[in-house]
Amino acid sequence: MARQLTLLAGLLARRAALLVVLLAVVFAAVEFLPGDAARSTVDRGSSAEAVAQRQAELGLDRPVAVRFAHWMTGVPTGDLGRSARGEPVADIIGAHLPNTLLLGGLAFALTVCASLALGCAAALRPGGLRDRTISTTATVALALPEFVVASVLVLVLALWADLLPAVTTTDDDGWPASPTMLVLPVLALAVAQVGWNTRILRAALADEYAAPHVDAAICDGLSPWRVLTRHVLPGALPSFAAGAATSVGMLLGGTVVIETIFNYPGIGTVIAGAVHDRDTPVIAGATAVTGAAIAGVLLLSDLVRAWATGRRA
Amino acid sequence: MRRAARFAPALILVGLALTGPYLAPHSIDAPVTMPYDAPGTAPLGGDQLGRDVLSRLLAGGQELLLTSVVIALVVTVVAAFLGALAALRPTVGRIIDRAADTAMLLPTVLALLLVALSWPGGGRYALIAAAVVTGVPYAVRVVSGAAAPIAASGYVEAAAAGGEHLWHLIWRELLPNLRATCLNLFGLRFVAAVYIVATAGFLEIGPQPPEANWALMIRENGAGILLNPWAVIAPSLAIGALTVAVQFAADALAPRPGRAT
Repeated sequence: MARQLTLLAGLLARRAALLVVLLAVVFAAVEFLPGDAARSTVDRGSSAEAVAQRQAELGLDRPVAVRFAHWMTGVPTGDLGRSARGEPVADIIGAHLPNTLLLGGLAFALTVCASLALGCAAALRPGGLRDRTISTTATVALALPEFVVASVLVLVLALWADLLPAVTTTDDDGWPASPTMLVLPVLALAVAQVGWNTRILRAALADEYAAPHVDAAICDGLSPWRVLTRHVLPGALPSFAAGAATSVGMLLGGTVVIETIFNYPGIGTVIAGAVHDRDTPVIAGATAVTGAAIAGVLLLSDLVRAWATGRRA
Repeated sequence: MRRAARFAPALILVGLALTGPYLAPHSIDAPVTMPYDAPGTAPLGGDQLGRDVLSRLLAGGQELLLTSVVIALVVTVVAAFLGALAALRPTVGRIIDRAADTAMLLPTVLALLLVALSWPGGGRYALIAAAVVTGVPYAVRVVSGAAAPIAASGYVEAAAAGGEHLWHLIWRELLPNLRATCLNLFGLRFVAAVYIVATAGFLEIGPQPPEANWALMIRENGAGILLNPWAVIAPSLAIGALTVAVQFAADALAPRPGRAT
């Protein structure tokens, strides 16, 4: 038990350290942007003194290292600083993040369920028609960019068939007004990731079927389903967990595109706007939250792998 | 023969995209018909300014393709070198591993936005820089994974003991044995590069109007999708067909069939 706790602490510390490094890199990258928040938020044609005054108000006249250190000390308390327009960054993110987590979470759940079902269905009869159909379709799906999938889905399901809404509107609480508005964005996000993870699982299952203990189980006359769930799938889970974890980054990145297309009120639209305004604290805050979410999922995937290999050893 | 058949679609599409600009019947920036005109005068109708969709479709693939090839080449060469180096020098390997772990926390699209805007005049070069920076960490892992067993095999150790330079070990001993891995990696990075270049076009941070570009066409013509759906469908199909064809070609190059890399 103590050994497992040490292992867990080690994994946690490593992910946290990487996250801090990433934040420093992002903060520095945004600092090198030629325009700055002061210029993009004062009125056009303002004098140089007005810009300098605005820079002083925003604290932009202090050295980068000082500002980064100041910002980092606020992060653990939930204080992500103020945006160039003076709003607390935590509030901006807090207002939009739940929507994106809902969108990304549903897409991730769909990805995991669909690729588990499809990968297993393909692996049960290797080389059969079903296997070839699923494998080929998965390869096609994983190569398609989200906005291509989204454009075709909108045209076919929303505009021609008139089954689902093509844009998202929000209710008074800032959530999508109807659950049907989530269907197309979730599908458009998940299609490529389902393709990617189905292929990974299919390949990992094929490797596991080649193991001697699986041959023994088949020779003992166990049903194909029991062989799959008891003897093959557990061995393929570490690879599948690693693949699904990398999908999280793609899903969260994809929301920038998907939210733009469907006018979805999430953090992707906030990021797009903040980059335009050179709003360092907002970009750094959004990256911190996105990076933390990805780090959390990678940690989960590490744990699944540690658990699965420990179980087998 | 079956192998050749898996490359054919990619070769045909790449050929079409490269020669397309010279086949276009009309200019890409002069109106020939009414905005969003249905197919008639123009075979695929008009776009939001009444320009010929077919001509813009033919012209719009070349730059996407060339930019993606440059990205895939640079990523593959850099990753091949760093991956082989990581396999030979464990200390460097650990640093590369940590860097790749960190890079994974930053979604590609976010990195793309940051780099493209930190270098507003950079245009295509900013795009290439962003795609290379985000692509290399994943690619290095593939190469170093494949290179590790070779680096540990007797003949590389013998060459190292024989006093061969690190440079010689990487280019002469390790990489020739990783040809299949590197070719497959090139194919996969090409698919990823098309994704990035197209997404940048769609987010309007790469090529600017009035340039013809498939991703930009999809974005620009979204408003008139019901009047002339071809202005959106045609470039969508073009991007889809190109990425899928190249993906299949990359699969055919995969070092071990039936195993994803």
